[in-house]
Amino acid sequence: MFKEMTFALYAIKKNIQNSTELRVSFLLTVVGMAINNGAFIATWIFFTQSVGEINGWQIADVVSLNGFVAISYGIMFSLFVGIRRLPQYISDGVFDRFLLSPKSVLVRVATSSFHASAVGDVLFGLICFGAYIYLAGMTIPQFLLSILLLGNAIGMFFAVSVIAYSAGFYFTDGFSVTYSIFDLFMTPTLFHGGIFHGAMRFVFTFIVPSLVVGALPAEILKSVSFFQAVQLTGIVCIWICGALLFFHRSVKRYESANFMTFGR
Amino acid sequence: MKPIIQVKNLTKEFTFPVKKASVGWVKNFIKPQKRTVVAVNDVSFSVGAGERIAFIGPNGAGKSTTIKMLTGILHPTHGSIDIMGFDPVQNRKKLAYHIGTVFGQRSQLLPNLPLTDSLEFFGVMYDMPDRDIKERISELVTLFELEDFIDQPVRKLSLGQRMRAEVAASLMHRPRIILLDEPTVGLDVVAKKRLRELLLKINAEQGTTIFLTSHDVGDIELLCDRTIVIHHGMLIKDLPTKDLAHTFVFEKYIDLISQDAFVQFPDLPQGVRYLTKEKEKISIAVDINNISITQALTKILLLFDVQDVDVYDADLETVIRHIYEKA
Repeated sequence: MFKEMTFALYAIKKNIQNSTELRVSFLLTVVGMAINNGAFIATWIFFTQSVGEINGWQIADVVSLNGFVAISYGIMFSLFVGIRRLPQYISDGVFDRFLLSPKSVLVRVATSSFHASAVGDVLFGLICFGAYIYLAGMTIPQFLLSILLLGNAIGMFFAVSVIAYSAGFYFTDGFSVTYSIFDLFMTPTLFHGGIFHGAMRFVFTFIVPSLVVGALPAEILKSVSFFQAVQLTGIVCIWICGALLFFHRSVKRYESANFMTFGR
Repeated sequence: MKPIIQVKNLTKEFTFPVKKASVGWVKNFIKPQKRTVVAVNDVSFSVGAGERIAFIGPNGAGKSTTIKMLTGILHPTHGSIDIMGFDPVQNRKKLAYHIGTVFGQRSQLLPNLPLTDSLEFFGVMYDMPDRDIKERISELVTLFELEDFIDQPVRKLSLGQRMRAEVAASLMHRPRIILLDEPTVGLDVVAKKRLRELLLKINAEQGTTIFLTSHDVGDIELLCDRTIVIHHGMLIKDLPTKDLAHTFVFEKYIDLISQDAFVQFPDLPQGVRYLTKEKEKISIAVDINNISITQALTKILLLFDVQDVDVYDADLETVIRHIYEKA
């Protein structure tokens, strides 16, 4: 386990170096993504200002929701973007490379690549948290809680990505299917938390766990509930275990391919 | 001597959906017909430590599928594989510490970083201590003559340089076996020669077992002392490379050089046929199942006025063509 972790950190370091070799492209991508996200949240703030509070959700909550989603998405898809490329790896036969490694296949796949634009998401998420502190303030317990909630959000992104993109093992051309499955989860993560009630809240917490990465953490941060945070951690752990099981079962279906590739 | 690789009754089947023209799109979509293709069919062989094996066959014969099963990438449908006591399916990660792999059409290196980073990456992946990594990189740089481009980003290397680098990277952890799938594909003659020399060197100096697939006659002839021929997934021959010609080609060839100039080309005895007819030189093929080479030569020399005679076997390329066409 320790060796796997050490290797994962080393692989991430090398991927970052590999990506930042192309400096101009790296910087443009990072800044471009941060600006793009900024325009998105501006729309939400304008909307919230216009309609006022919806089911207890205020501007600060929308800002913290965006912060949680952006940072967890950014960390997940900058450091572990290899998972998103899994359908491509499978169809090209690049997945062979990971099976030849003495390390965990999932660690190798996850840390096989680095995505610069997701760093822009992290940057944007940090700006959101800065804005949250400005709007609502943040106590030390809230700060610690936000770290735990961010960990949960990253874990949930990881679990859902592994499940969605492992579906590529079951389809000849898995791109559209896997991306659709992931989008089904991703799109509601940025919806205003105030709109989810009753059955919809249940579905988007337990069946399609979109609320676990943004809306629920924003609410827990506001109410400073460590108990709810621990409950959320439990849900995330179950999803991660399920994802690992699904991945390892799916790998057995791999049939390789012989496309010519270079450096992917 | 216990074999380092032992393969018994290895079979791999692939199943995939096929469209049936006689039924509609909906039925094809809901309940597609399945077809099963046997890519490798009941193949058995063993390899001793330090051997150099060419695993040959035409496209689609099952070479790459076999290599992928040997390395644990694919799971066999039937049969067993034992590599140094490891089953690639059950012990894939442990086996990886003992084997190196090179796929000619696929890179394992980090494209934007200098080659030295890729070598270091392999060292870390195989849990080598830092000091050992540095020493091994230095050894490989010397052995594979990588000095000139060790600091260049991999994407800027020529194909020949990159293949040398790929082989070097696969040897970072000092594997006892190296499996190469078409390592010389796309290389020019100089790069091919250089790569073959390096593989011979690591085989001679470090006793590394070499198992390669290739369509290149030079790889087989100059590099491998044993050849396993596979076709339609079945092993059709396993023999020393030098015996390939006698086993598969029942023809010998005679070149006749004219005293002055050949002007007439009379009918040849049964079992003998012209290959080329020129004023200065005639080439003749002798079916040695039909007529012995001495009988053929005696009869031919009565027909022509010759200055010189050359009798020779088929070259390996012809041999391989015969194998593929007749199998």
